[in-house]
Amino acid sequence: MMNSSTCLRSFSQLSLDRTAHASLTSRTLLAPQIACFSTSTARYNQKKGMAAAPKRGTRTLNVKKGRKGVNYEMGKRPAPGERKAQRKRIVLSNDNALPVSWLRDLERSNVLEPTIEGQMMGLPERVVDALRAEEAFKPTQGWGLFRRPATLMRKETVQLAGLVKEIEDANAQQQPRTIRRIISGDRMSGKSTLLLQGLAIAHLRDWFVINLPEANDITNAHTDYAPLPGSQPLQYTQDTYTANLLRQMLKANPSILESTPVVTDHKLPFPLPPKPTLKHIVEHGMANPETSWVCFTALWEELSQPGRPPILFAIDSLAHVMRNSEYMSAEFKPIHAFDLTLIRLFVDLLSGQKTLANGGIILGSLSQSNKPLSVVLDHFVTIAEALQSQPAIVPVWNPYLSRDQRVVDALRGLEDPKQKDFDILRLGGLSKPEARAVIEYYAESGMLRHTVNDSFVTEKWSLAGMGNMGELEKASVRLRL
Amino acid sequence: MARNELSRTIQAAAECFQIASRPRYHTSMRCTQRTWAPPTSRYLSTTPSNRVGLDDTSELSPASQDFEPFTAAPPIDFSQQKEKKQGDALLARLRVVPASPSYFSAKPTFTDDFVNLSALLRKTATLPTVTAAEAPKVAWKTIDQYRIMTNEPVKNQRYHKMLHILRRLNCIHPTLIPEEVVQAMKRYKKDSQPGDIVPPPGIIDEWGRAKGVGRRKTSSAIAFLVEGNGEVLINGQSLVNFFGRLHLRESAVWALKATNRLDKYNLFGLVKGGGTTGQAEAMTLAVAKALLVHEPALKPALRRGKLDFLRSSIWLLFFLHIHYFPYYQWAPLHHNSFKAHVTHIQ
Repeated sequence: MMNSSTCLRSFSQLSLDRTAHASLTSRTLLAPQIACFSTSTARYNQKKGMAAAPKRGTRTLNVKKGRKGVNYEMGKRPAPGERKAQRKRIVLSNDNALPVSWLRDLERSNVLEPTIEGQMMGLPERVVDALRAEEAFKPTQGWGLFRRPATLMRKETVQLAGLVKEIEDANAQQQPRTIRRIISGDRMSGKSTLLLQGLAIAHLRDWFVINLPEANDITNAHTDYAPLPGSQPLQYTQDTYTANLLRQMLKANPSILESTPVVTDHKLPFPLPPKPTLKHIVEHGMANPETSWVCFTALWEELSQPGRPPILFAIDSLAHVMRNSEYMSAEFKPIHAFDLTLIRLFVDLLSGQKTLANGGIILGSLSQSNKPLSVVLDHFVTIAEALQSQPAIVPVWNPYLSRDQRVVDALRGLEDPKQKDFDILRLGGLSKPEARAVIEYYAESGMLRHTVNDSFVTEKWSLAGMGNMGELEKASVRLRL
Repeated sequence: MARNELSRTIQAAAECFQIASRPRYHTSMRCTQRTWAPPTSRYLSTTPSNRVGLDDTSELSPASQDFEPFTAAPPIDFSQQKEKKQGDALLARLRVVPASPSYFSAKPTFTDDFVNLSALLRKTATLPTVTAAEAPKVAWKTIDQYRIMTNEPVKNQRYHKMLHILRRLNCIHPTLIPEEVVQAMKRYKKDSQPGDIVPPPGIIDEWGRAKGVGRRKTSSAIAFLVEGNGEVLINGQSLVNFFGRLHLRESAVWALKATNRLDKYNLFGLVKGGGTTGQAEAMTLAVAKALLVHEPALKPALRRGKLDFLRSSIWLLFFLHIHYFPYYQWAPLHHNSFKAHVTHIQ
């Protein structure tokens, strides 16, 4: 029996574990370089030795308020960064939950089958490691409730798998296609999870996967930036961020990077070993952030060579990209997010200005909770939704609103119904059979103690706003009344 | 002014004397089996208690006693009594008994009413009755209304004693109740009775919608219920988007949930005014009313559900903040302690 104080202590132990700092490391370069950085004021833990006995006649009992030199905070304070580590910690298993006997794993062979629609499928360990490396799991998602990560193959997931299949079929016919999708939906409807499922499918199909886990982290000016020499108009690189991204890419796609040889001469500013592979380029970029963008472009060119795997390039919280970033130029003007090199690459691919040489999917996910105002993005998303549901009534732009012309140019394809490659993926509620599958999984895991019957499923489905996935989980597992 | 009032009271007193059905005690009534006795006789008897001994005035035939128009006895002319001794003898022999027991009270209306009803009850006491719950629902006049009607400062307790008689009269079996009683009770009923205003029955319109309206605090809600599969839209938004708290969502569809009908209907709600709690609970009532249009037989189930709802609300107030465990708090707990938590919660 572990009491609560022991639990807390184990938390604090965990925070010292390097893996618990996964999200912190996105700001720093390499794991060994982690310094526990904190913006809170330093607190010195002075040891109070046994002082000599007080002199005679001095008052030792000091009970006046507001006296100096007395520490009022008697409890143990968490170490610097401990609270943040706890907040950002990703827990992917719960030993108290029961293993689900009938849970099957996703595999390379079955992931593109339409027959898995509506079933709970486990994520294989290899994929879980890759997803963890690229920060696809979010702390607010309920992975820590169950024995091991498993996802529901909902209708939209199967649609996404269908896109993957289309790309592969096109590649087989030597006609590579680039499909671009923006995932939209209500709050807690599972947009980030769908993104994660897309990443998992791509990993299983041995695609090359690049994931920008949170657009906010790129544009909120928390990492260093530098002008890119020779760029017109001026662009800015984010060296530390890019180096960290290279590290994540190496962790997520080790076999592709190790097995693919470098075939072109990139005139890199550093020597490569004989018979270099892509891994060498990536490792150099990781270790030397000032060359990270050069390494990234070299890697990108290598991946564009014929015969290389298709690419899944994904970003979460897309709205942060569609506006000025928090960075400032030398003239102290805000830098548009499109002028950051990484985002420029993503947006060019999303808008269709560039295409992937070996085909692939560009996937952006919206967020409803951490969402800056971007009227242009909202407008184009509503247009695309209207084109899907009721093409007769398409909203028009309010002429009294000012708009960001660069964003308009990037998203223009959404209002063109003929551009099948650029569209949104609207995430609605679960159907009742899907909700039933999820609830049965909850019950089988021992996290839900109720007989699963039709009336129970319908009740939860209705209360969760017609099958909103996050609300369904909240109502049936998290909020125990 | 004072003279007018005085004359009015005198006039009223005179009218009282002329009322036809003045209750009298008579022998036949005394012989009936008494199942119910008014407990207030000692307050109200203004006549001498040795009424039995009076032979001249009380020995009237029952037929002439009941519905005979009352006329006061001619005044005794003492001047005509030539002999003083004879007049003394007459006075000694004669005892004037007023027709109304309330003759000596300032305002006799209430006493008369009471006596009337007591007599009526005595007369009908042997008729079969129904229980109070089965008796027709009657809204009796409040004491204030009665006071205004009679212009008499009736005491609360006395009025309630009269109401007691009225309720007893109301319990006479509805098929056997005499017309006399019905007419007598009319005087004490309010102008509008429960059930007088019958709302038009709810209808299911051509689209299959039943409409219900509910209000709570300053919110008002309209619910349209159609047969369906459990979809809910409130002001065009899904339940989750409109009500952030799970408790409010449950409140809004409580009528359906309590009757196990959540998967049988689709709900379109329009709410306005007030705050979230008021809106959710206004929606509760609106949905319940709309549901009763579809299935009137659910009324008792809804009444039970209402009790559950109140109970759950109070329960929630106390326990919500204690029982919400984010998963990361109990994820690292040992299995046994986790079990203990669960049993504690349940």
